[in-house]
Amino acid sequence: MACAASTDLLDRGWRVAPQVALRPEPFGALVYHFGTRRLTFLRSRLLLDVVRGLDEHATAREACDAAGVQASERPRYSRALTTLAGAGMIVPQDAS
Amino acid sequence: MSITPEQLEKTDEDREREEKTTAPPEAEELVVEDLLVEDVSIDGMCGVY
Amino acid sequence: MSATLVEQLETGLDAPICLTWELTYACNLACVHCLSSSGRRDPRELTTEECQGVIDELERMQVFYVNIGGGEPTVRRDFWELVEYAVAHRVGVKFSTNGSRISAERAQWLAGCDYVDVQVSLDGATSEVNDAVRGPGSYSTAITAMENLAGAGFAGFKLSVVVTRENVSQLDEFKRLADGFGAQLRLTRLRPSGRGADVWGELHPTAAQQRELYEWLLAHGENVLTGDSFFHLGGYGAALPGLNLCGAGRVVCLIDPIGDVYACPFVIHDEFRAGNVREPGGFARVWRESALFGDLRRPQHAGACASCGLFDKCRGGCMAAKFFTGLPLDGPDPECVLGHGERLLAARGDDPIPRPSVDMSKRRPRRRPARACDENPLTVIPA
Repeated sequence: MACAASTDLLDRGWRVAPQVALRPEPFGALVYHFGTRRLTFLRSRLLLDVVRGLDEHATAREACDAAGVQASERPRYSRALTTLAGAGMIVPQDAS
Repeated sequence: MSITPEQLEKTDEDREREEKTTAPPEAEELVVEDLLVEDVSIDGMCGVY
Repeated sequence: MSATLVEQLETGLDAPICLTWELTYACNLACVHCLSSSGRRDPRELTTEECQGVIDELERMQVFYVNIGGGEPTVRRDFWELVEYAVAHRVGVKFSTNGSRISAERAQWLAGCDYVDVQVSLDGATSEVNDAVRGPGSYSTAITAMENLAGAGFAGFKLSVVVTRENVSQLDEFKRLADGFGAQLRLTRLRPSGRGADVWGELHPTAAQQRELYEWLLAHGENVLTGDSFFHLGGYGAALPGLNLCGAGRVVCLIDPIGDVYACPFVIHDEFRAGNVREPGGFARVWRESALFGDLRRPQHAGACASCGLFDKCRGGCMAAKFFTGLPLDGPDPECVLGHGERLLAARGDDPIPRPSVDMSKRRPRRRPARACDENPLTVIPA
């Protein structure tokens, strides 16, 4: 988490944490962490696409672009990803 | 059974309590800004006695 | 939670977030407030294979966890096997227990299981207060179980308390007890459900106690769990942590020991029965297609509460609490913070109050002479 805050999150590669389940819902998705027993609501299908695509891209920025996030919307998605990283829902790709 | 409006009529005390407990409008506006994600603990849910 | 998210959740989800699964009505205790009127096993109980079939479905639907209760779920011979099966299928398990089967060995086993959580029930911080509700010896049984769990290094298990008029003054003691075991305190609301209907009048917290409880919960925030059960107290001011809505049939439900699906664990009554997992299409079809759940997911009328400035906070309170006290569902909760519910209860005539559709209480009518050790008229000794 410390490293997520110190550099721009969008320039790093991320993936969904192994203890996390992602469940699509009409409004977006539910993200559940089996370890912390916390639930996060993703309130946009586009954000779900971004999160699902994280693992396939070298950086979160590329994942956002690939999902079709407008440049003007990027800060919002970056904040959303920061929240997810803070809750341990997504982890850096290079984390063991 | 049905409820008549009189039965639910507010007392002065009720009104006072409602005024005191209604959140200030500024708080609501802050929340509206950016809610792509919302987070909650569901640890205690679905358990019974 | 934001108002818009709550509104979205009220229209329902593709699958429950979590659900309560009463695996058996059999119980070695006979708590006076039992919400499922448990005692005897129902011979139609789901078999091991049928339970595994339900777990397979929950896995496909991505239900995040089940909270297994009863009855006392650990009296089922296949209980531990079913726990293992669920976890292996990525369905998290919590189970509620009176602690009678949590030996030191079992606690060791549990401490080694990922995705398993234990909730030990205790309704008094002293044996006097607890045993009056849960029966003689139940306090020491629960304490032993918690000692075993703590001794096995099981951190963060739950000490689960139903808040009553008698124990609401012990909240700090419960917290100390939980902290001492490295456990987390969970408080839940007494409902007039099951045998609880018979004692709710004398055991539910008074208005003044509710206010104290609210302040206490607010001060402790997310450190004390409530399972969202006190959202009707939001009318006092700031919302308590949690979703703060009635999740019945929308984000949660109950599967009972014979596979009947109800909107929530507190409404075991035909009016709230959505279907059965043994029917074609199984649980998924009941969740997605039942007419009852469809109704519960449609916008609800605030009814008599429509003009109340606090409706957005309490959302009319608990459906089960209203139903089993004979109050209309589109009106105030019997414990409405403005006292509207109390006034309605006082004004209510002798109209019959709905009774639960299931009663598996052990047949030991109170007229039979009490046994030697039964000193408290409220307690019933297990057979």
